[in-house]
Order: sequence, then C-alpha cells, then structure tokens
Amino acid sequence: MIEPFTVPFMGRALTEIALLALICGPVSVFVFVRRLSFVSDALTHTVFPGVVVGFVAGGIEGLFTGALVAGVLTAVALTVLTRSARLTDDAATAVLLTAMFSIGVILVSRRTSYTSDLTAFLFGRLLTVTPRQIAETAVLSVVILVALALGARALLFRAFDPAGAAAAGLRIGWLDLGLNIMLALVVVAAVRAVGTILVVALLIIPAAAARMVTDRLVLMAVAGTGLVLAAGYLGLLLSWTASLRYGVALTSASAVVLMLVLAYLLLLPVRLWRDRRRPALPIPLPRRSPHELVG
Amino acid sequence: MNWWDDVMHRAVTEVVLVGALTGLIGVQVVVRRLSFFTMALTHATFPGVVAASIIGVNLLLGGVVTGAVVALGVAALTRRRGQDAAAATGVLVSGGFALGAALVAMQSGFSRDLSSFLVGSILTVSAFDLIVTAAVLAVVALVLLLCARPLLYAGFDPVGARASGIRASGWDVVLLLTIVLVVVTVVPAVGTILALSLIVAPAAAARLWSDRLPVATVLAIAFAITSGLAGLYVSSSWNVAAGASISLAATAALVLSWGLQRLGRIARGTRVRTVPA
Amino acid sequence: METAALRLAGVSVGYSGTPVVTGVDLELGPGQRLALVGPNGAGKSTLIKSVLGLADILDGEAIVLDRTPARARELTGYVPQTGNLDSDFPVSVRQVVMMGRYRRLGWWRPARAADRRAVTEALDRVGLADRAGMRFGLLSGGQRQRVLLARAIAARPRLLLLDEPFNGVDAVSQEAIVRVLRELSADGTALVLSTHDLAVARDLADLVCLINGRQWAVGGPGETLMAEPLRRAYGSSAIDLADGRMVLVDL
Repeated sequence: MIEPFTVPFMGRALTEIALLALICGPVSVFVFVRRLSFVSDALTHTVFPGVVVGFVAGGIEGLFTGALVAGVLTAVALTVLTRSARLTDDAATAVLLTAMFSIGVILVSRRTSYTSDLTAFLFGRLLTVTPRQIAETAVLSVVILVALALGARALLFRAFDPAGAAAAGLRIGWLDLGLNIMLALVVVAAVRAVGTILVVALLIIPAAAARMVTDRLVLMAVAGTGLVLAAGYLGLLLSWTASLRYGVALTSASAVVLMLVLAYLLLLPVRLWRDRRRPALPIPLPRRSPHELVG
Repeated sequence: MNWWDDVMHRAVTEVVLVGALTGLIGVQVVVRRLSFFTMALTHATFPGVVAASIIGVNLLLGGVVTGAVVALGVAALTRRRGQDAAAATGVLVSGGFALGAALVAMQSGFSRDLSSFLVGSILTVSAFDLIVTAAVLAVVALVLLLCARPLLYAGFDPVGARASGIRASGWDVVLLLTIVLVVVTVVPAVGTILALSLIVAPAAAARLWSDRLPVATVLAIAFAITSGLAGLYVSSSWNVAAGASISLAATAALVLSWGLQRLGRIARGTRVRTVPA
Repeated sequence: METAALRLAGVSVGYSGTPVVTGVDLELGPGQRLALVGPNGAGKSTLIKSVLGLADILDGEAIVLDRTPARARELTGYVPQTGNLDSDFPVSVRQVVMMGRYRRLGWWRPARAADRRAVTEALDRVGLADRAGMRFGLLSGGQRQRVLLARAIAARPRLLLLDEPFNGVDAVSQEAIVRVLRELSADGTALVLSTHDLAVARDLADLVCLINGRQWAVGGPGETLMAEPLRRAYGSSAIDLADGRMVLVDL
C-alpha cells in the first residue's frame, strides 16, 4: 500500500494533493457557507481563455499569468454583476462561464489539434507534477491560510448576517471580492497540476461531506482536509493499480474525484441518521439565494 | 430529399429547433434560478450517455435515466437546507464528469468523446437527430402550455399553492424532468457549454425586456434562434468553432439588451432599479 | 343551528410525528374572529397550517367547516407571509390574485368574466385596483400583503386563515387589512389570524387563544390578554417591571 508511493512521481503527486488538502479544507468551508459552488465551477471554465492566451503569448510560463488575469477578471466581474439588479446571480454566472469558455474554444480551435490540450486542462497532469510546482503550491498554501486566518471573522460575519456586518462597518463588496479572488488563486494554482474537474471537486466536496458529520466550522475544515488526504491516497492507489494491473487508463484526477464523491455518498446516511435523532422542523427557506434550487 | 442532404441545411434546421427548445425552457430556468442545476445536469448526463454507448442502448435513453436520477436526487436533497443543495449540485457536477471520464477511459477514443461532449458537433447532425429534436420540442411546448398555471403558482408561492390544493413538489419534479429532457436532447448536438449558454443567455436577455412570462418566452425563443443563425454564419464565414460562435452571439444579445436597457433608463432619468431586499 | 367554522378538541399538531403545539381546544363560529397570540416559535404558524392540512394532526379531532382539514381546503382561504416570495418573479398583481381562482378553474379552463370580476372586486376591496398591472415584486411589503389577502378572498372562502398578516406592514396597509377583515366577518366569514401584536388582538378579535408550545388560555380578549394568563403563556419571556408593568420579550 505504500510501495507505489516510493516511486518518485507518485510521491510528488501525493505531496501536491496533501498541500492542496491543506488549502482546500478551509477554503471549501467558505464555499459551502457562502454557496459559492457555482462560482467555483465557473472559475474553472473562465480561466480557460486565460490559459490559452497566456500559453500562446508566453509559452509554459505565460500560462500561469494568463490564467491568473482571467481568474481575477472573473472574480471582479462576478462581484460587480451580482451587486446590480435585473440579472440574477446564477444567470450572470452561467453566462460569464459560457462566454469565456467559448472565447477559449475559439482561440484554441484555430490551432489544429486541441483535444489533448483540453484533456490536460480538464484533468491536469498530476503524475508529472514537478518539484517547482510543489514549491509554488506550498507558497500558495501559506498565503491562503494566512489570509483566511486574518479574514475569517469578517468573512463569517458577512456570510451569516450580511445586514449586521454592513451595519458594523464591514465593506461587503470588498469582502466578497476578496473571497472571489482567493478562489480564483486556488483555481489557477491548482489547475495546472490537477485539472479543472478535480479543482472543482476539491473546492466543493470536502466541506459538503464534512457537514454530514459535524456542524462546527473548524471541525468541517479539519475533516475536509482529512478527507482530501484520504481520497488523494486512495485515488492515486486506484489509478496506479488500474493502469498497472488492468491496463485501464484511469486518470488519477478522476480517481481522486470519485473517491471524494464516494466519501460524500457514504456520509450522507450519517447525516440522515443524525437528523432523525434530533428531528429538525422544515424551515421555510427564503428562495432568494442564487444557488438554491426548487423548494 | 436533397435539401436535407446538405450539411449546412441540416445544421440550420437543428439550430432553429434547438433555439426554440432552449428559449422555451430557458425562461423557466432563469425565473426559477435553476442555472446551476442545469449546468450540473449537463455534466450528470455524461456518464449515462457513455454507459449507454458501452452497453449498446440508445444514447438518449442513457442520458435521460441518469438525468432523471440526478434531478430527483437533488430535488429530494433540496427540501432541506440551501447550503446543502448548492453543495449537492456541485458534487454532481464533478462526480458526474469524473464518472463519465472514467467510463470513457475503459474504452478508447478518450479525448474525442470528451471534447464533443463539451463542445458539441452541430455540423454532424443527422436527419434522425432533427426528427428527435422536433418531437421533444413538441412535447415540451405542450407540457409548458397545458401546465402553465400549476407551474406558475408552484414556482411563485409553493406554500400558497399547497394550501390551494396544488402539489407543489410534484410540479417541481415535472419541471425538473422537462429540463432533463431538453438538456439530453440538446447536449449531443451543441455540447454542454453551448447548451447552458442557449438556455440561459437568451432568456436572461428576454427578461430584461419584459415582465410578462409569455412575452419573455417568445422573445427568448427569438433571441436563441437569431443567436444560433448568427453564430453559424460567423462560424462558416470566418472558419471558427460553430458552437462557441453561437454561444458568444447569445451572450452578445444579452450584453446588448442590458446596455440598451441601461441607456433607456438613463435617458428617461430614472434611477437604476435595485431589487427590494 | 349554525355549525362551527372550526372545532378543535384536544388537538396536537406537528411534523413527522414530532408535536409542536399540544392540547388545543377551541370552537369558532361563523363570522367570528380568532387571534392566536404567542411569541415567535410558539407554533402559531404550525397550528394554522394544520387547519389547512399542511401540517399533521397528531392527536385529537379537528373539524373544519364540518369536514376534515384536507377536504375543507376548497372552502378555506390562506394568507401566508410575503417574506418568502421572490421579488423578481415575472408575475403581475392581477395574476397573483387570479391564482386564488385556480381551484375553480383547474389547469386549463380559461378565466371567465365571473373570475375576472371576482379578481377586480377583491383588488378593489383592498384598495389596490390601480396597481393591478404592476409586477408584484415592485410593491411595498404592506401592499404585497394586501394582494395576498385579495388572492385569498377572490375565492370567497368561508374560513380565512392569516399568518402574521401585520408583520412589517405600514400603517395604511394595516388599516386597509383590518377594514377588510371586519367586513368579511360581518358577511359571515370566520377568521383566524396569528399575531404577536397584543394591541391588534385586543382590537380585532372576538376570541383569543394563547399559544406557546401548547394552549395556555382561550377566551375573550378581556380574559386572556391580562397579566396572569400572559405571564403563564410567555413564561421566561415575560419580565415584571418594578412599577407593576410587564414586558413581553419576543426574540
């Protein structure tokens, strides 16, 4: 069970996942609490044109910058759009997502074959992550964790009581922008290594799964980190075994995501059981959140 | 039938049909804030389609089955808390896609299936596809027309509707399944991204122009079809990806509508309307 | 002999087997006005919903207009709180009031002159006939509440249930609502309204029921809206001040 990870590239892959676990455990709590799942998903699509432009303009080095610019632009656009009326948050997010992704597709389709680029973009290259990328992820994790530690109180106040926070003098617009930019940073930094599919999963699933067993935010963050570590380990193991033993080309990113989803599904009954012991009355929900579905 | 033999003719017909379909359902999606759900559906139908092609069953069927499972599952989960609903939808997006990708990995042709799923292949639509799209359009139009009242009441005020004897949760499911039907029909032709774009952008633009549901629906259909045709034209003239062009045309319609409305308000001297909290 | 509009005997209500309010015993005659009074979270909403068949009757017997709650729905009207409604929804004031007629119309039958007349009359009564074409979301809180009242009366109910109808409502709208309610009860419609505003209850109600997890008292406002019964019902939320007055804290 340890043996595969003594192979250098597997070890590096696991290290990268571990660092991402450290970042995404806490960040996913904010995504959960502020219902930013759609925004996270949108960010993974909107960095696409940035990646293409950056790559075309500056090669491999330019990728990161391009993605970063696109990500920050998205964060700003979303923050601005959702504060004005007439266009609902979710429609604005959807249109921004599709528009930017389409720009990326157009840019890319001018080149001859883009399917392999697309695959790399979607699934990343976890198994070819370099020590340099690991170092960059480590730096990012420090930056994000410090930023979260400093801003946690304000962000949580705004999340649970926007009116009260505004009355207390907190600038909601700047807080929202700050969080959106933080998300963009995580997406941009992680996309190269693990691809967009896994990034979205890492931002959304840890807190959602942890919520099944606890309703205390700090515990959710810690449990989320733990879940990502476990899913990373098992997923890498799974894709290693699948390709070596059975010849199935399962990407490691897919495997890790599937492990995360499995964890979520397995924990779901725990939540139902907990709710049964303390029966919760159906709360009439104000249907004004953009990410809320019917009912 | 030599008119149908021309690729461009079929593509144009498909664009018109798809435009009508997405415009029709789009208003419901925008008004009920179901854009994220629709996005999740496009990803969730992916494993169903792949599984169906592996098993050898009709692809649409596979998509409908997984789509329905997802729709019902999420509807059941959302009766509870809003945060869980958003998270559950997010789980479905990444889970569905990863599952589909995993299934695809078990056969060959990995990258090709993936990109056509995302981006679609409107230029390879067949006469049979057209017939299916037309049939689905008829069904959806019928459902939305006949059930307009209960859908409106249940959508606007589920509690009041229930007190009036309308089964609000049942009607929610009807709407969600209708969206599943549209997504499953449209995604193979135009891809996930474009499907979302055509469903949301024209309807959002139409909403800017009218507060009345029937008018907005007609406008949405008009915008969607126009975007489709404009996108196709640009794509064939300048040799760029068709799906992406259509998507950007739809976005342009929205941006234009927003801009014109804004100018109109400035010209009339009214302040920007904000939504009462 | 006129049968009671509402008869509750030993009733417990709640959701999924968990009781929210227990021990409710009251009888409401046609044209009478009942106020359910209690702090937030006392279960007033749940009790109202149970009369509509939207919450479970866990114990006891509930007879609404001589029928079971579910069967009585076609003769009852409901005015919920407006807070949960989406302001962006593309629906006009007239359309909202017409929703009150859907029960008679079913899915597809087109609205006839009689329905349109009922809608116009209802809007006239609440004083919003001039806003009929406006989008519902553009109205103020009080105006929206009046529209929901119009929706309920468009179907000419024999029993009308209102959930905190005066919450967040401006003075003009409150006056209009009170006036309409008095007219309705004079016409024989029985009314049940929940409120935590004692002044409204004292002013409007023939019968008051103090609710807080269970029924603490029922009777005329003169008997129930007094210090002792209120202190018992509000429990720890009732604070006695030194000068003999009492403060009811409602959180």
